[in-house]
Amino acid sequence: MNIVVCMKETPSTTAEKSFSPDMRLERRKEDAIPNPFDEYAIEEGLRQQEKHAGSTVTILCMGPATATDTVRKALAMGGDRGVLVSDDALAGSDAISTAHVLAAALKKIGFDLVIFGNAAADAYGGIVPSATAELLGAPLLSYASKLDVDGSTATIERQADIGYNTVAAPMPTLVSVVKAINEPRYPSMKGIMASKKKPLDTFALADLGIDPATVGAAGAREKALSAEKVSTQRKGEIFIGNEGAADRVVAFLVEQKVL
Amino acid sequence: MVDTASARKAHQNHKVALPPATDLYNINSLLNEDERMVRDTVREFVKEQVLPIIGEHFEAGTFPRDLIPAVAQLGLLGMHLEGYGCAGMSAVCYGLACQELEFGDSGLRSFVSVQGSLAMFPIWAFGSEEQKQKYLPKMASGEFIGCFGLTEPDFGSNPSGMATTARKDGDSYILNGSKMWITNGGIADVAVVWAKAEDGIRGFIVERGTPGFTTSDVTHKLSLRASVTSELHFGDCRIPAANMLPDVRGLRGPLSCLDEARYGIAWGANGAARACYESALDYSKTRIQFDKPIGAFQLTQAKLADMATELVKGELLTLQLGRLKDQGNAHPVQVSLAKRNNVRQALNTARVARSILGANGITLEYPVSRHMNNLESVYTYEGTDEIHTLVIGQAVTGLAAFE
Repeated sequence: MNIVVCMKETPSTTAEKSFSPDMRLERRKEDAIPNPFDEYAIEEGLRQQEKHAGSTVTILCMGPATATDTVRKALAMGGDRGVLVSDDALAGSDAISTAHVLAAALKKIGFDLVIFGNAAADAYGGIVPSATAELLGAPLLSYASKLDVDGSTATIERQADIGYNTVAAPMPTLVSVVKAINEPRYPSMKGIMASKKKPLDTFALADLGIDPATVGAAGAREKALSAEKVSTQRKGEIFIGNEGAADRVVAFLVEQKVL
Repeated sequence: MVDTASARKAHQNHKVALPPATDLYNINSLLNEDERMVRDTVREFVKEQVLPIIGEHFEAGTFPRDLIPAVAQLGLLGMHLEGYGCAGMSAVCYGLACQELEFGDSGLRSFVSVQGSLAMFPIWAFGSEEQKQKYLPKMASGEFIGCFGLTEPDFGSNPSGMATTARKDGDSYILNGSKMWITNGGIADVAVVWAKAEDGIRGFIVERGTPGFTTSDVTHKLSLRASVTSELHFGDCRIPAANMLPDVRGLRGPLSCLDEARYGIAWGANGAARACYESALDYSKTRIQFDKPIGAFQLTQAKLADMATELVKGELLTLQLGRLKDQGNAHPVQVSLAKRNNVRQALNTARVARSILGANGITLEYPVSRHMNNLESVYTYEGTDEIHTLVIGQAVTGLAAFE
């Protein structure tokens, strides 16, 4: 089975974020990590490889030229090869452009199973898996908390508010996974050493036959207007006195659906 | 030629961002990608798997054995050795791993140091091919735990006086004596033991279960409580001659192992110091007295400034030591200097951090008293502060004040 895991490079969640005047996140190489949501996708790819002998895992990433280091970080967890799509013209790409690029790269690489994290921790658009599936004309099994591959069928469980859905699709298929699906492994010391020897190809837009004018800032159809920090200030409410304070606490807890 | 004046001018217009409080000298930028990956991986492991449980183990006086498979899976056991199931990483990578492990607890770092540097290293460096094949892969995978027996009840700083003997008898050696303060002793499957033979001090591999070999754990410790410390006893313990390490004789053998281990200790001390500093820094910003955070008082700031400065110095010291070691140019006196300085400063940082935390500092809610008590052991093990002082003294004067 040819497994491809799509991974984005994101800034570390604890890194200070800054933006350029045209609202692009300024990415510092030393803060770059594999998107934390994608670690679950990588882990799932590796587990499927372990279950299905003879499978290969390719890590596919679109990002700046320096993202090779981040792809290597993913390869330190496991997997066979990395592919980075990098081109100056890609800077400022929106989600649809990203999906175009990933779809073209996936066509070039070939795949039976493509696994995505369900969103990226930086932009949190969450539409790249579905847009890529649409562009490839392939099914997407989204928000998987469990994945089984049997012959030519992939089956997932998806947790909904009222319970689990079980959904199946014929292969080749795309799958997006949620955190509940597994516990990602740590890269091992041997894995870190081995990652340096794994093949890592870089594709430019020309390799994928994509017109630079249709992607990047030039081709972007959506535009970020502003970004604000989440205020982490806690808001406490204090009920004082014997007169009805207990009732108000109970009413508050009921309102919060705790009771 | 670079126009330095105009370069300086350009710099004046460029606003340099305030460096983070935990990396005031941007030491992060001196590390390569592998090194950062090792540091971040072990840091994450410690945060997720060690910190939630270590206080309870310290209180109960138990070693967290459940962590061994995960530590082995990470490849930390003998990570700086080449081949035989080991990762073959650089000295700097090994040091960073020790640093992050000791951010968790000195006991856990001690376990890894003893396994990799004191038990696996002598087999790797001085063992026969059969010995390497037999022991190293199993020790790297955590299946076999190792310990190292050099110190005796009556011979600590002066190991050359050791009383443990190895008498040749046909195809065997017969060991008699005892070894004291042996980390991992009670849980070890394999002990590397140094004893006096006819031709001088030799190293022997003794397997658990060998008749005449027993261990007893040291209890009632107030330091390294999350670590196993034991005494090894040898009473007419007969071991095959093939278990002797063939390629070393004399004190050079055990001392070279200690040099490896105390290299890791110098790094580890940075981790313990950082844990205490971060804890005190965080506390000083949230603890309000006299209507302001105690971090706003000059006395507290003086403490924090000293801690931050010593941490930077310690980290730069070990990084340069690691670079020298990776070039094959580290001298033992440099290891002594780094071990002495960093442990001394870490202990001081722990004590000062405790003072910032006030009464909270004595509890297991915070890591500082645990580290402070642990560092009291680290201060004297693997060469006391005093012996390392004399090693440096001898190096700079050419005059030996001991031996």
